[in-house]
Amino acid sequence: MNKGLVITHGNLGRELIAAAEGILEEKVDIDCLSFEWEDDGSETLSKFEHYLNKNQGNNIIIFTDMFGGSPTNICFKFSMKNIEIITGVNLPGLLKFLTYKDKDISFKEIVKTVKKGAIDGINLISEYLGEKKK
Amino acid sequence: MIRETIEIINKLGLHARASAKLSHLANSFASDIFLIYNGERIDAKSLLGILTLAASVGNKITIETNGKDEKKALKEIVALFKGKFHEKS
Repeated sequence: MNKGLVITHGNLGRELIAAAEGILEEKVDIDCLSFEWEDDGSETLSKFEHYLNKNQGNNIIIFTDMFGGSPTNICFKFSMKNIEIITGVNLPGLLKFLTYKDKDISFKEIVKTVKKGAIDGINLISEYLGEKKK
Repeated sequence: MIRETIEIINKLGLHARASAKLSHLANSFASDIFLIYNGERIDAKSLLGILTLAASVGNKITIETNGKDEKKALKEIVALFKGKFHEKS
């Protein structure tokens, strides 16, 4: 089974998931951990390890908010074949994951598609309009 | 393969929630389903693909279905557009 976990500073992840649920108009199957401001890392790491133990045997995509930030750093060393970490979480990436995770394609392909969806979701509107005017 | 061109009549056009409804419906059919708009042809089963069209109210869009349930797919998708994606305006 393909699982998703969002780890962010503060409530960012929870709000992104709430926005995805608003758009899809259904409760979505993805978990979330908030790295609280007063946490020295140990609390989130403990919750994260508990999550991994609970989800052993699953493929997991971890979405973190920013490369180099604590939410990314605590899970860095857990990156392996069935645990992929995508940094810079955004709504297009989450929506791509939620609409692709149950498809009958390989985990590798899902990860690639989700990453592309997230990157393609970033556009400079002036460039977009420029392309349209050509 | 069959096609139908219709006008988008809901106020917000193909925004996120409408696109989610459309891709969800498209995924319930076996047929290939495409949207053709402004020179672009995208897979209607992809939520993010639909969003890239940035199609607004008043724009005309072509729905193309191809497969064993193409008639039913086209009929239900056209009905979703005409029903304003269940939105009030």
